[in-house]
Amino acid sequence: MEIRPILSALRHNMTGALLIATQVALTLAIISNSASVIRDRLAVAQRDSGIDAESRIITQRPILFSQIDLANLIQTDLDALRAIPGVESVTITNQVPMGRSGWSSTFATERVPTAPSQSAGLYFDGGRLLETFGLKIVEGRGFRDDEIVNIDPKVQNPPPNGVLLTRRLAEALFPGQSQFVGRIFYQGNSPDAEEMRIVGVIERFTTPWAQTGPDNEYAVVFPARYLNPFNHYVVRAAPGAEAEVRKAMEAALEKNEPGRVSVGQYSVQEMRDRRYRGERALAWLLVSVTVFLLGVTASGIVGMASLWVNLRRKQIGVRRALGATRGDIVRYFLTENLLITSAGIAIGVLAAWGLNGVLMSELSVPRLPLDYLLVGVLLMLLLGVIAVLGPALRAAQLSPALATRSV
Amino acid sequence: MLQMDGVQKIYRTDLVQTYALRSLSLRVAEGEFVAVTGPSGSGKTTFLNIAGLLETFEAGSYRLDGEDVSKLSDHARSRLRNVKIGFIFQSFNLIPDLNVYDNVDVPLRYRGMAGSERKRRITEALERVGLASRHQHLPSQLSGGQQQRVAIARALAGSPRILLADEPTGNLDSLMAREVMNMLEEINTQGTTIVMVTHDPELARRVHRNIHVMDGQVSDLDQRLAA
Ligand SMILES: Nc1ncnc2c1ncn2[C@@H]1O[C@H](COP(=O)(O)OP(=O)(O)OP(=O)(O)O)[C@@H](O)[C@H]1O
Ligand SMILES: [Mg+2]
Repeated sequence: MEIRPILSALRHNMTGALLIATQVALTLAIISNSASVIRDRLAVAQRDSGIDAESRIITQRPILFSQIDLANLIQTDLDALRAIPGVESVTITNQVPMGRSGWSSTFATERVPTAPSQSAGLYFDGGRLLETFGLKIVEGRGFRDDEIVNIDPKVQNPPPNGVLLTRRLAEALFPGQSQFVGRIFYQGNSPDAEEMRIVGVIERFTTPWAQTGPDNEYAVVFPARYLNPFNHYVVRAAPGAEAEVRKAMEAALEKNEPGRVSVGQYSVQEMRDRRYRGERALAWLLVSVTVFLLGVTASGIVGMASLWVNLRRKQIGVRRALGATRGDIVRYFLTENLLITSAGIAIGVLAAWGLNGVLMSELSVPRLPLDYLLVGVLLMLLLGVIAVLGPALRAAQLSPALATRSV
Repeated sequence: MLQMDGVQKIYRTDLVQTYALRSLSLRVAEGEFVAVTGPSGSGKTTFLNIAGLLETFEAGSYRLDGEDVSKLSDHARSRLRNVKIGFIFQSFNLIPDLNVYDNVDVPLRYRGMAGSERKRRITEALERVGLASRHQHLPSQLSGGQQQRVAIARALAGSPRILLADEPTGNLDSLMAREVMNMLEEINTQGTTIVMVTHDPELARRVHRNIHVMDGQVSDLDQRLAA
């Protein structure tokens, strides 16, 4: 309606208008980027680990101090765990996905120091690892029970005959290929690096660290029980049997060798929760910042609009006397606010891209999706209208008699 | 044109009730130029506010241009003010952030008039008050007399049936006051009804009829003359 006169009136209240526009611009830039970071972090925290039922996979890590016969102790532990009612499958391994600590090793396709190499998590399958974690084989096969060997760290052991790796690692080692079974690669890239032959490809299996990048799915599995005191027993509980299995697991391990110290019992789900605590904390922090900023901007608009209404009491009375309806007065303040907010939004869109550029290069944050920017823009428009509505309605209630009465 | 009978206006605050108008009855005929005089606090501005539909009243009746306006909605009163009434205030009441042209434009925009029609009326009104060359100026860049002439242009641009003025010369020196008065007389001769509150006896003498308000009522002398 009357945009031009509103604009020229605004020119005489530049400071306040600029203040609000700047606030809107900053808020838009920050909230659209935070929203995108929040989504990114939460998406990271929800990534598929390749494990089908995380809450039913229970891990426990008793320190195996028995110096007599570790191989035998492990076998009797596994037999005892397998006998627990409600246990579907049992394995022993050196580390657990998202457990935050574990082994990694470097793998390459040539035995030359310049050959490209990938660092990957190194899992030991003490038998039935795929079954217990519920992992999927997409090519080849898993290990047979008779392939599992004991590795004694105190002596020289032969390298494994065949290994499993994840599809992501296979694709990284053999770019452009789609068939991997039977291919050869090496642990390390020195001239004496051990040779490995691929017998199976796992669809997906995350590392203990669950890194943010694609290397969180780089893993190699050896068919072995590593005879050191720090292994994880893993059991797969039947649906609904988790609680009993957890108790029985604890009891069985204690019974098999009393007095063992256990480093705790966790489901993979709990491992995930602990691994991504930081991501969720960041997301919540950003949510709070967003809500706070929206609040500050809204109060800024309410405050500025109220101030302007008070400063213009006389003018509002005069406008009413000259024939402005209450609706005209409300419209005036809404339009004025819309102009200021729009200016702020225009700057804010540029600022959002700029901030995103900095975040992308400094903190490897993803590119700001356009729909996030669009939602941010709509949110700011809505916020502006809602914030100014109160002062505008109060302005509309001012009496036209202010034209003759007030000084 | 304007007909009030027994109009009563009470201002209520928490502590006191002020009878600003006790029982005010008066008539203003079409084309008249009437001066309203009376001591301070007698209810002149209150009368003008009610006449101009800026305020409501408690009792009595008021017909403006033949229409009973006591039961109109706020919206309808706004429309009526916009179309039928022109206001001139003691303190000019121009909008400080708008230039002369945009100030005159204000009531025309509220009427939803087309741009070309508004432009024609604004130019004409500013020419009538001799300020066409100043249309870019802000109110603060004008003298008091010039500001009041802009206010008159603003009141005239909408071609009102009646012009209500509350001490239009109260803030002006005698020379400028006379100039404004000349302008009002000229407007009146062209057919617009004018009701003007004034303290200035010299101005009051120049109009068709004086209405003396005392203590919220038209004084007896006038009543008898009117009868
Ligand atoms: N908003 C209000 N609230 C309470 N009382 C009011 C209000 N406005 C006016 N009055 C009172 O109503 C009475 C009439 O006031 P009004 O302004 O009409 O007088 P006036 O004749 O215009 O005076 P003056 O010549 O000084 O302008 C006064 O006693 C005044 O104090
Ligand atoms: Mg007065």
